[in-house]
Amino acid sequence: MKSLKKLIFFWKARSVSGKMAIIVLVLLITTAIFAPVLTNLPHQRSSGPALEPPGRPHIMGTDQLGIDIWSMIAYGARVSLAVGLGTSLLAGFGGGMVGMLSGWKGGRTDKLIQRLIDIMLALPELPAMIVIAAFFGSSLSNIIIVLALFSWSRPARILRSATLSLKEQPYIKMAAHYGAGTGYIIRKHLIPELFPLLIINMIRLSSMAIVTEASLAFIGLGDPASRSWGLIIHHAVNFQGIFMTSFWKWWLLFPWLFLTLLVTSLALLGRDLESLADPRMLR
Amino acid sequence: MRKFWASKVMFFMVTTLVFAGLFSGCSNPAEMGGEQQQSADSSPKVIRLEGGDYGLPQPYTTHSRGPGRYKVNLIFDKLVEKDESGYIPWLAESWEVSEDGKEYLFKLRENIQWHDGEAFTAEDVAFTLEYVKKFMPVVSSAQLLDESFVQEVEVKGEHDLIIRLGEPSPIFIEELFSISMIPKHIWQNVDEPEAFTGPESLVGTGPYQLTHYEQEHGSYRFEAYESFWGPDQKVDVIEFVPVSDPVLALHNGDIHLSDIPIDSLDRFWEDESYEVVEKPGVWGYRLRFNMERKPELQRRELRQAMAYAIHRQDLVERIARGGGIPGSPGILPPDHRWYNPDVNQYEYSTDEAMELLAKTSLESASLSFELLTGEDQEVRMGELLREQLADVGIEINLRSLDSQSRDQRIADAQYEMVLVGHGGWARDADYLRARFSSTDGDWVNSIPGYHHPQLKRMLEEQITMVNEEERKKTVMKIQELLAEDVPEIPLFMRTGYTVYNKEAYSGWMHVFDHHNMTHNKLSYLDY
Repeated sequence: MKSLKKLIFFWKARSVSGKMAIIVLVLLITTAIFAPVLTNLPHQRSSGPALEPPGRPHIMGTDQLGIDIWSMIAYGARVSLAVGLGTSLLAGFGGGMVGMLSGWKGGRTDKLIQRLIDIMLALPELPAMIVIAAFFGSSLSNIIIVLALFSWSRPARILRSATLSLKEQPYIKMAAHYGAGTGYIIRKHLIPELFPLLIINMIRLSSMAIVTEASLAFIGLGDPASRSWGLIIHHAVNFQGIFMTSFWKWWLLFPWLFLTLLVTSLALLGRDLESLADPRMLR
Repeated sequence: MRKFWASKVMFFMVTTLVFAGLFSGCSNPAEMGGEQQQSADSSPKVIRLEGGDYGLPQPYTTHSRGPGRYKVNLIFDKLVEKDESGYIPWLAESWEVSEDGKEYLFKLRENIQWHDGEAFTAEDVAFTLEYVKKFMPVVSSAQLLDESFVQEVEVKGEHDLIIRLGEPSPIFIEELFSISMIPKHIWQNVDEPEAFTGPESLVGTGPYQLTHYEQEHGSYRFEAYESFWGPDQKVDVIEFVPVSDPVLALHNGDIHLSDIPIDSLDRFWEDESYEVVEKPGVWGYRLRFNMERKPELQRRELRQAMAYAIHRQDLVERIARGGGIPGSPGILPPDHRWYNPDVNQYEYSTDEAMELLAKTSLESASLSFELLTGEDQEVRMGELLREQLADVGIEINLRSLDSQSRDQRIADAQYEMVLVGHGGWARDADYLRARFSSTDGDWVNSIPGYHHPQLKRMLEEQITMVNEEERKKTVMKIQELLAEDVPEIPLFMRTGYTVYNKEAYSGWMHVFDHHNMTHNKLSYLDY
């Protein structure tokens, strides 16, 4: 009951765009989870003539091989969301923890971690990822790991500075003075206090990860078995002269639309949630 | 935060610029050869074509695929050349064959100069034939490199020479087309032809000279060689430029000729300034098996089952959008002059396939193969094959590489099954010998682990038959045998259309056995 009230309060505190974003995200997540129910045509093999325009039974048409595009999009949502969630958990949460640790511990640990972060920030992400994806092969888990590896440094840096200012708060100093260990402080004080900041960072990360996965797939370095949205776009754009035909109106447009929807809603939600992290904007 | 991002972006830009500067500075082999520009009174005729890196157009550094080969052919000449109907004298003015078919007396054209001004003589021909035996060029002829085939090359005079063969050969003249003549005075001191890339390596007798080559962009510029011995060049400059979408590029005038997919043809049909030409079906895809790595594939029933399970017409419809002809199990395609239409066609039938598979009594676990493909359309083709073979219980794992790596893996026999497309299907039927009877570890064309004694014997017999009728009959029988044994599956031959801009240039022509009008030099000459 209490949590429901909280939820209602959370909902009411959101702006119009934030509400829209949440609705879209919930819809997309539902699509991903219930893909087998929502589609009745296979997403891995052809189920009709090639390049059929939207109609029945192919509500979004078919691609060159005759594979139903709606089925591919519904199942592809799983890939995009998995990448977004996986990366944001690994990099956002992991990076955040590292940042807190670094900020709290200070001293040598801090210096070491800071230099590491500097190095990571200096590396150009996409080129490096292209090389790694080409080298290690491109399974979905590889992509998530590589993405996380290249994106943990930003949340780490942000959370470190937040920790530094929090560290000076009297109640935390007091706790430390009474002998609380690092783990205790992080668990009991830092995480609850910095959680909103962490969430925002994770949301931002996830939208970055989704776009990057799509980009890798687009240039042909994605997981060929995963059929992500980026891969659909890749195949469509590689169809010679697609813009001279009408095929792009469904083959390219729909995956692009879904990708844009997902990334835009994540961005809007992240923006809206900033009020959580900055108490002045709320209440 | 913002400042931080700005600094990051700055850093990235600076690094990129520095690197870009470094690369363009240190690896720019451009500006080679002479700067002969055509006389200024009329503006030079320039045509632009789709680029792509196919290596330095020298016989030892070019890539083996068509676009690379024909660039070599713009600079270097051969003893014979092709036109619409067959082989024509080129550097060789004429030749006579002795009665036993073993001795060829060649008379070379006089007054031919290499691009550096030296005279071209019979010595150069003899040198080239010797040199290619020592160092195999990228494009070569198995026969000419065979010690026992060309037994002796005798220079009779400045422009006469005799070539003596061990056996009479019906395809000797065709084989000569594979060898580009190189100048003795330059190459005699070259021991590492693959590393010989200076301007001197591009001295030929051909109608064009390379004046610009940039590997990173895949751009080339060829200019007409003023003192070319042969027919006048109708095109002064041929440029190969990087293109991302050929259809749009042709439409925007960035290039002047391209193959156009059927779906985009309409606007070119309607437009007066374009000409649409249908292509012959002599460029095809085949599915190849590595029977050494996967001994299961030595089971004929398994291969036959695959032939039944693969819906070749469906591939034509979906991949080529209707612009193709299904391959013939007898290998020689329907557009080949010796095509045998009476071989077993393996009409698509999953039932037949399942029945044959049951006969092999192979466990379903062993019916799993990795299929290597190139990029883009070939991946899609692989997906379709995977789908069709899955229907009969054969599992396919796709692996896609860029086409150059794929070609390399074929040469190294590093694959289980591979999908590959190439031209040359209309060439003399002797290519069947290279594909199905070679066991010498040269895997570019042949099949690792495939042995068929009867087939091998017939393939070796046909090459000694000087009587054309008799030879044709044997080739027909060979096709029956091939269709029965299915050592590889020809999937389909691309036909489709080439469109060119008439206003830019209209001298394009097809030669008798090739699919691409830009690949023969007669297209650029006033022949």
